[in-house]
Amino acid sequence: MVLVELGRSLRASLNKLSTIGGASEEVIATVLNEISRALIEADVSVGLVKAMKEKIKAKIELTSDSHINKKKLVQKAVQDELVSMLQPATKPYLMSRKKTNVIMFVGLQGAGKTTTIAKFAGYYARKGWKVSMVCCDSFRAGAFDQLKQNATKLRVPFYGSYTEADPVVIAEKGVAQFRKEKYEIVLIDTSGRHRQEAGLFEEMQEISAAVDPDNTVFVMDGTQGQAVYDQAMGFHDAVDVGSVIVTKLDGHAKGGGALSAVAATASPIIFLGSGEKFDDFEPFNAKSFVAKLLGFGDIRGFMDE
Amino acid sequence: LKNMLSQVTGNRVLTEADLGPVLTTLQQTLVSKNVASEIAADICTSVRSSLVGKKMSTFSTVKATVLPALELALERVMTPRQPIDILRDCVAKRETRSNSPYTIVFVGINGVGKSTSLAKTAYYLKQNGCKPLIAACDTFRSGAVEQLNVHAKCLDVPLFQKGYSKDPSSVAKAAISKAKEDGNDVVLVDTAGRMQNNVPLMTALNKLIVQNKPDAVIFVCEALVGNDGVSQLQMFSQALSSSSSKTGVDGVILTKFDTVSDKVGSAVTLSHVTGVPVIFVGVGQKYNHLKRLSTRAVVKSLFKD
Ligand SMILES: Nc1nc2c(ncn2[C@@H]2O[C@H](COP(=O)(O)OP(=O)(O)OP(=O)(O)O)[C@@H](O)[C@H]2O)c(=O)[nH]1
Ligand SMILES: Nc1nc2c(ncn2[C@@H]2O[C@H](COP(=O)(O)OP(=O)(O)OP(=O)(O)O)[C@@H](O)[C@H]2O)c(=O)[nH]1
Ligand SMILES: [Mg+2]
Ligand SMILES: [Mg+2]
Repeated sequence: MVLVELGRSLRASLNKLSTIGGASEEVIATVLNEISRALIEADVSVGLVKAMKEKIKAKIELTSDSHINKKKLVQKAVQDELVSMLQPATKPYLMSRKKTNVIMFVGLQGAGKTTTIAKFAGYYARKGWKVSMVCCDSFRAGAFDQLKQNATKLRVPFYGSYTEADPVVIAEKGVAQFRKEKYEIVLIDTSGRHRQEAGLFEEMQEISAAVDPDNTVFVMDGTQGQAVYDQAMGFHDAVDVGSVIVTKLDGHAKGGGALSAVAATASPIIFLGSGEKFDDFEPFNAKSFVAKLLGFGDIRGFMDE
Repeated sequence: LKNMLSQVTGNRVLTEADLGPVLTTLQQTLVSKNVASEIAADICTSVRSSLVGKKMSTFSTVKATVLPALELALERVMTPRQPIDILRDCVAKRETRSNSPYTIVFVGINGVGKSTSLAKTAYYLKQNGCKPLIAACDTFRSGAVEQLNVHAKCLDVPLFQKGYSKDPSSVAKAAISKAKEDGNDVVLVDTAGRMQNNVPLMTALNKLIVQNKPDAVIFVCEALVGNDGVSQLQMFSQALSSSSSKTGVDGVILTKFDTVSDKVGSAVTLSHVTGVPVIFVGVGQKYNHLKRLSTRAVVKSLFKD
């Protein structure tokens, strides 16, 4: 996993607190600068990093009178901030076997929505769920063929149209059909869009209103940089985003944009995509991730200290 | 920022100490505008060394001296040493009456906009009197062939395709022969997206290039790209360089420029990495959304707060 590289630089910085004499204010400042740089080099939003640094500083200053071990203090402050960034207040949506779970996928152009839907479908189909897909992308050339070919390979039923230009109509019809047929999961694919084009966001809101999804997943590309935060914020403000999936982590990117997306949408990451094949897909757990990221073993053990 | 920049005035020689804080702030600004960290550092370092020891004019602030120098450096970075003009080169090749079409291959990581940029390029060349043929050499991704087929129909340009699972290099070869037969003077070769660190896929792409000896290889990258842009361009250039072409990549198309607002730093990053020129920027999803890069506008956006 690529975000791990970020962990390495973070750990190296934190270790300085124990190797270079005591933790003087100077050393702490250096460490915080290094951590900030590592996060920015991993594409975390600059604004977010600045805010995080201030919060950590404030925490350290608050307790600076006591004789508490400074290294532990800094470690805990950094870890707490990362955890809260990766694990926002919103609880992940829990799929229910007793009903039709409608999940809508949204995101920027080319982020990996259609591919991720195929992976998502494969993941749940393997676990024995009755899964289906609806192609509400009537804009991109070849979009329906792409979804159809994926669905056929996975043997998952799909709904879409070559002639209907209104994605809202397709969405309504597709969801109604799969609800009637008692499918447990209906995955809604939508066109790629961006916050600068209001019409595209309105269309997304109309689809959302029509299918009333149980969960909306923001799919983001792990190679992207400083513009991710604003885009994720735009999606968050327009529809009720409940989860994030980060794709393309099989490349060289450190995937820090994901932290920005989580912060902007206040929604947890639920899966990571790491390739083009349907099983290049793994569930994500923020808690154990940050614990591993910082190399402190079980996070609860640390927290209790 | 404003305070910092307007400090220190007078008619004297600039020292490292004067320049340090101003350049640090400006470097942060560049990074927050999505210039890759190492590139921002490089550029600021070179501006620093060019200014140390220079005399400031009376009543001038450090900012008033540094900012124009930095702006100039950025414009210089983005101004190609060897500009490439595909239309001119196409026409030139046609006039040699060699009967072999001008061939352009589009490469890049997944989902950045290769196929869309190819379609836009076809439109541009056709508008300017060329007769392009599109070669569907992404024989891997679901819907890739149908996607191009839609574009070919809309643009009324012939599509050469052999379906899926075929060797892309052989399909390209056959397409070039077909273009010769039919009198098409340009062949636009679409390729499957691949991560720069995926060795087997990069090797396969190298084979396509070596066997078909295109006139131009265009690296497609999205303006959304973060720090990873550096590694993408470096590794594609490296993997595709051969005895006939030292750089491997002849030009860049920077897509999705309409989605980044003022976070336009990737234009600087990509121009800096190998000095390969940015031929076009993609500014939307329509065929005419292909523009030339305005270095002035980019510099202006970088320092707009
Ligand atoms: N290497 C890699 N490629 C991926 C991953 N996820 C998706 N892709 C590829 O990224 C490209 C774009 O994926 P799509 O699923 O078409 O993206 P999309 O968001 O549906 O695109 P639009 O519908 O045009 O907005 C395709 O080539 C996918 O195969 C991943 O985790 N790793
Ligand atoms: N807003 C915007 N969207 C773009 C631009 N260029 C391409 N896109 C969109 O980005 C998505 C991906 O484009 P493709 O051309 O399929 O990308 P690709 O690189 O061929 O993708 P793969 O073949 O799957 O690797 C599509 O939804 C395009 O419409 C652009 O300049 N601006
Ligand atoms: Mg799609
Ligand atoms: Mg393509």
